[in-house]
Amino acid sequence: MRARRRWLGVAACVLALHGAGAAPSDDADNQALLQDQDYVAGLAAREAGDAGAALRRFDAALRRFPDSADLHNELGFAHRKLRQMDKAFEHYKRALTIDPRHRGAHEYIGEAYLMVGDVASAEKHLAALRSICVLPCEELTDLAKAISEHRAQAKAR
Amino acid sequence: MRIHRVAVAVALASMSINASLAHEVEEGKGTLGKVSFANSCDAKVQAEFQRAVAMLHSFWFSAGEKAFRHVLEDDPACAIATFGIAAILMNNPLAGQGSSPKGAEAAQAALDQGQRIGAKTQRERDYIAAVAAYYADFANRPERARQASRAQAFEALAARYPDDDEAQIFAALYVAGTQSQADQTYAAYLKAAATLEKMFVKYPDHPGIAHYLIHSYDAPPIADKGLPAARRYAGIAPDAPHALHMPSHIFTRVGAWQDSIATNRRSADVAKKDNDGASAFHAADYMIYAQLQLGRDQDARRVLDEFARVSADPTTQAGPYAAAAMPARMALERGDWATAAQLPQQGSRFPFCDALTTFSRALGAVRGGNVAAAETEAQTLAVQHKALVDAKNNYWATEVEIQRTAVAGWIALAHGQPDEALRLMRAAADLEDRNEKHIVTPGRMVPARELLGEMLMELKQPAAALVEYERSQLREPNRFRSIAGAALAADAAGDRAKAKRLYARLLELARDADSPRPELARAKTYLAAS
Repeated sequence: MRARRRWLGVAACVLALHGAGAAPSDDADNQALLQDQDYVAGLAAREAGDAGAALRRFDAALRRFPDSADLHNELGFAHRKLRQMDKAFEHYKRALTIDPRHRGAHEYIGEAYLMVGDVASAEKHLAALRSICVLPCEELTDLAKAISEHRAQAKAR
Repeated sequence: MRIHRVAVAVALASMSINASLAHEVEEGKGTLGKVSFANSCDAKVQAEFQRAVAMLHSFWFSAGEKAFRHVLEDDPACAIATFGIAAILMNNPLAGQGSSPKGAEAAQAALDQGQRIGAKTQRERDYIAAVAAYYADFANRPERARQASRAQAFEALAARYPDDDEAQIFAALYVAGTQSQADQTYAAYLKAAATLEKMFVKYPDHPGIAHYLIHSYDAPPIADKGLPAARRYAGIAPDAPHALHMPSHIFTRVGAWQDSIATNRRSADVAKKDNDGASAFHAADYMIYAQLQLGRDQDARRVLDEFARVSADPTTQAGPYAAAAMPARMALERGDWATAAQLPQQGSRFPFCDALTTFSRALGAVRGGNVAAAETEAQTLAVQHKALVDAKNNYWATEVEIQRTAVAGWIALAHGQPDEALRLMRAAADLEDRNEKHIVTPGRMVPARELLGEMLMELKQPAAALVEYERSQLREPNRFRSIAGAALAADAAGDRAKAKRLYARLLELARDADSPRPELARAKTYLAAS
């Protein structure tokens, strides 16, 4: 649901900010990514629940945007959905190397760690989000909730 | 290698132009500095060719492109002119945005034309190939990759022609263009500056060298190194609009307010005359910022009134940013919270421009005692922040995050939660320290660390406040409110000697103030009683 909301928001803001003029160099490519056909198609495939198609399109976009934290985060998500956990971790870690404050990557790698039963690592990313999100942020709330639910389920078992 | 260097020197010496046609002024067409770009074009186009290169060095892109195209019309065999056209169409290489797709198309057409003409020398072919490296596979590469290719190609060019000083200068520019916002060691800037400093000794009147040195030192810890270039550049190329404004980037960094006012006044006048509203607004914002630091509030008011009658292109950020920033600065720098709380929203297409008004309204409201209004503004700020996050405008999203956090801190303080207030305000200041100021602005509406100092004063912690005021001035020196706040804090902390020094410094800074600021009255009273 959250992903859907984000996607609609992105579409609206691309229109609003297109041609926004000079931005610091690191953002020029971030904004170019939003107009990349493969990236946009990958997001649409992800929203439609087709992780395989999303992965193919994100992989195609990677040739043009090898240093995009957002793209690596999406690749991590697609691999995670396909249960390719090693590749998922590889991309999440790359996203966090490029941008150590990437909130989405912290949340999703934390959730990926829960999927493989590594609660301690998920907690580390929750701690990272606590220091990044000085004001409340949904990535922090969602990961905290996921960890809490994971613990409850483990206890029930 | 040695043989190669000799061969290059001979080849350069044999060209028709060489240093003999280096010029400063072309009669009746203004002063753009001394440039000598060796080339094999016809003698009749030499003056205009050098002039076009000088325009390129001062980022006078529209006039420069016309000049290069005119050279090509007059001498259709002058293939190297296509290098100039393609270089201009990359736009400001330090702004990060790069060429537009339409610009890239026009540049490729120029480069293709250069290929068809066939440059007469290998060196000219190498210049054209170096600029072509930027445009290669344009649609399929991100800007950072293009920037890297460009820097690499021009560094290779400079290495191949070590006696070609223009190659060294362009290589330095494009290396500086790879500077990342995240790198606070400023490695690329300093690498470029090392080359440019040597060139500056050799060519003190070259427009590009002085200009690129200013850009290469446009960061707080290294800004003072840029002062010699800043003081010279406007004099080297006084007819290039960008040359009149650029020195103020350094003047602002070091707090040389009189210099900033003078050069921006000239820049704004030239820009207005050229109907370049965006550049005029940009210069005016820098000018008002400087005037307010000197307590010249009436002067600042006059500039604000003057610009109420100027219009700027709403589709580029410089105009809308300055239009929103100038009235906000007028209110916040003078602690006029009531006016700040009522600032009208400009309703631009840029969420970060609207956010600075929202931030100012929120700060004005909460510090004026209207917490409910501040909370409403804080919600608006959150919406503007989200718009920037969703659009992947991470730089400005971070700037607005800093504003949100600071506002939340002051709201917490108003709700009687001092620990939470300080936690938030410190987080805002720390985050701001990690995010470099954008070139569109002379400074944030209020530096977050200065605001932290003000909050600590509200909480009766003057010693801690003094520390924060002093830290704030390391990055943004000579600010009126920082010095006044530090003086007050020093006195309250019991350091009367320091308070005296700071009050004396404040009075010296604002010796030509045209308005009765309460801080100045306090300083006079304090010093008289000491």
